[in-house]
Amino acid sequence: MKRLTFKSFLFVCVFAAGMTSCKNKTTVKTSDVDSSKVTNTAPVEVSSDEALTRNVLDATKDYPGVQATVTNGEITLAGNIDKDRLPKLMAAIQGLNPKKVNNLLEVK
Amino acid sequence: MAVQEKYTELINAAKGSGISNLQVREQNNVLYIDGEAPNGKVKDNLWAIYNKLDPNFRSADVVLDVKVAAMASGTKAKVTTESSNLNIRKGPGTDQPTVGKAAHNEIVTIVNQTNEQWSLIKTDKGVEGYAYNEYLVKS
Repeated sequence: MKRLTFKSFLFVCVFAAGMTSCKNKTTVKTSDVDSSKVTNTAPVEVSSDEALTRNVLDATKDYPGVQATVTNGEITLAGNIDKDRLPKLMAAIQGLNPKKVNNLLEVK
Repeated sequence: MAVQEKYTELINAAKGSGISNLQVREQNNVLYIDGEAPNGKVKDNLWAIYNKLDPNFRSADVVLDVKVAAMASGTKAKVTTESSNLNIRKGPGTDQPTVGKAAHNEIVTIVNQTNEQWSLIKTDKGVEGYAYNEYLVKS
C-alpha cells in the first residue's frame, strides 16, 4: 500500500513536471508570435540591377559631371556636382529603391 | 539600432509631418524611410535634416524615399527646370525621342502620372507626351 502511494506520488510529480515544461513551451511560442507582430516589418524591396541601371540614366541625365554605376542593388555616384544640386540628385537616386547609395562625388 | 539613433531627428521629423504610409525600417545597417509627403516642402525639409546629420550624404546608411503625393489627372503643373526647356518625350524614358518642349515656368496639364519618375502631360499648344516628374510642381 505504501509502495503504491509512493508510486502515485511519483506519477503526480512527473505529470506535474511535464505540465510545467509544456506550459513553458507554450509561453515561448506565444512571445515569439507577439514580437513578430510588434515589429511588423516586410523586408525592404530592392529594384533589380537592370531596372536601377535604366532609371539611373534618366535620373542623372541633367547632371553632366555625374557618373553612376550599379552593382548588386548598390548605386555608386562618381564625378562632381555643385553643392546645392546634390540633395535633389540624391532624392532622385534614393527614390529608385536601391539597397544603398555610395556617394563618391566631389562636391564643389 | 545605432543607425536609428544617429538619425533620430530625421525619423521624428518624418513621423511628425503628416507623411502617409510611413515606413521606417533598418536592414543590414541601412535605414530605409519610405512614405508619401503631402507636399514638396515637407520632402525638402526632410532632405535638409538628412544633409545636416550626414553632410553631403557620405555614409551610405540611409535610403530616404519620401515621394510627394501623385498629382491627379487634370492637375495644372508648373515646369520647374532651372532655366531651360523641359523635354516632352514619346515614352517614359530619356531613350525615347522628344515630341516637343515645355518652357521654363510654363503651366501644363497632367494627363496621368505614369510612374514614380514620369508623367504623361499636355501643353496648352496641344503637345502631349511624357515629362520627368522632378521638374513638375503642382501650380
